Amino acid sequence: MGKAALIAWREIRWEIFGDRGAVIRTGFFALLPILFVMSGRGQPGGPNDISILVLALQSTLIPALSGVALIASTFTQEKENGTLVPLLAAPIRDIDIVVGKLLGMVGPVMLICASSLGLFYVLGSFLFGGARLRDALPPQILFALLVLAFLYLITAGSWVLIIAAVVRTTRAGQQIAGLMIGLSAAIFAVLGIAAARIADGWALVGLGLAFVVADIVALEVARRVWQRGEVIGKL
Amino acid sequence: MIDVRDVSRSFGRTVALDHVSFRVEPGEIVALLGPNGAGKTTASRIIAGILAPSDGDVLVDGISVRADPGSIRSRCGMVTDQPSLYERMTLRAYLAFFCHLYDVADAARRTEELAKLLGLSDRLDVRLGAFSRGMKQKVAIARGLVHDPPVLLLDEPATALDPETARSLRSFIVSLRARHRAILLCTHDLDEAQRIADRVVVLYRGRVARAGLTGDLRADAHPRFVVSFTGDVATALDALARAGVNAEPASAENGYAALRFDADEPGTTNPAVLRALLDGGLRVITLAREERSLEDAYFAIVQEAGESNG
Repeated sequence: MGKAALIAWREIRWEIFGDRGAVIRTGFFALLPILFVMSGRGQPGGPNDISILVLALQSTLIPALSGVALIASTFTQEKENGTLVPLLAAPIRDIDIVVGKLLGMVGPVMLICASSLGLFYVLGSFLFGGARLRDALPPQILFALLVLAFLYLITAGSWVLIIAAVVRTTRAGQQIAGLMIGLSAAIFAVLGIAAARIADGWALVGLGLAFVVADIVALEVARRVWQRGEVIGKL
Repeated sequence: MIDVRDVSRSFGRTVALDHVSFRVEPGEIVALLGPNGAGKTTASRIIAGILAPSDGDVLVDGISVRADPGSIRSRCGMVTDQPSLYERMTLRAYLAFFCHLYDVADAARRTEELAKLLGLSDRLDVRLGAFSRGMKQKVAIARGLVHDPPVLLLDEPATALDPETARSLRSFIVSLRARHRAILLCTHDLDEAQRIADRVVVLYRGRVARAGLTGDLRADAHPRFVVSFTGDVATALDALARAGVNAEPASAENGYAALRFDADEPGTTNPAVLRALLDGGLRVITLAREERSLEDAYFAIVQEAGESNG
């Protein structure tokens, strides 16, 4: 896995932090919790515990949307610029390339998700009271939220890999990733409403299960689509 | 050494390579020629171990590409027609990255060595996006050499280079041959192939249309001769026609008239030509075999292959 880590490091150092646009886009998603908290949902009297949970969920997952665009662009750009060929010509396994690229995108985005959740927690403590935040968001829930964000990124990343193998241009990849982001945002919003009405954690469990099912389907499709010969043939 | 053994490769219903065989020995440059879509790039990708053959096998230094493509990749250096660089990286970071991918022991030293070799030492900390096309191609070559491979696969390496850079690239490739590298040069540039290739393999629609030494290929098939003389061209043509030799006017050299003719059996035809001209009262100055350019040979081979394929 040393070479996967090397690829991941290159992605982070040169493609993410070397691209101002990517940094600004990701930063924009990270600041969304401020908007959520400042919008004062649930005021007066403050939001109930479920509303706080939903706000925390959205603060964690919405920054993950930026990861979808990043993963889409990294693979389609590699194809479009022909940079995948020298990489495939090196003595590394296909899995190292895929894992390295996913890690390179998922790592920084997870950091953004964690920062966003942290920012929400700090701002929420000031606005709604520290005790209420601690009650609504115990450590295990915070951990569960981050795991959910990770699952979402892996799921979306896998599907984006499939798209990247099929489409020919970065633009087409970005457009499809945009559709995925829109769809995901809509699902998160509906989930928020559902969670507020159901008033328990079943929506979170449902989301987690949905991610796992989507992962299994994505892996099977990716296995069929991402055959080295087929991908090379399209380059 | 590269040993391509009866390799076929299909993409869906498209047959890119059809039972192709050839060899490249260490210290040898073999040019893989052919029109677009002939299968040159597919062949080099199969040899590089990044694409599996549908049928047949390739051995690189005795290792099968089917059995161990990873080892093959660590023995091949590949240079593509497009530089295909990560343009946000600096030259130093880029070469170091590939050194690490190829498990080169001292990446920093190798990076500086390669930059010096290709005259890029003063650009080590410049982002690749700021490089000219020629410099980018040099970087692509450096990338292919990071692990000092015994086999080099060069796919149109001089595409879009200015004549000066292309010339220095040719010298560099020749210097690698002197260091016992087996070099496969896929190219459209017949002049380049004629200058540096020891042998030529012509692919046409995925099949080997012709293979041989570059010199033999140029001298192949119907040998042509040029006779120069003093006197009237029409008289000479009449004299040769009477002797049963079809000739055509060739460009005059040093003020002498000249005729060109095919001679499948030079031992019979050439004396007949000389006799006919002398009997016609013409003074023969020279009679010499005309060297075909590789370009002429290539077009003749491709035309022949096209006709035999229907």
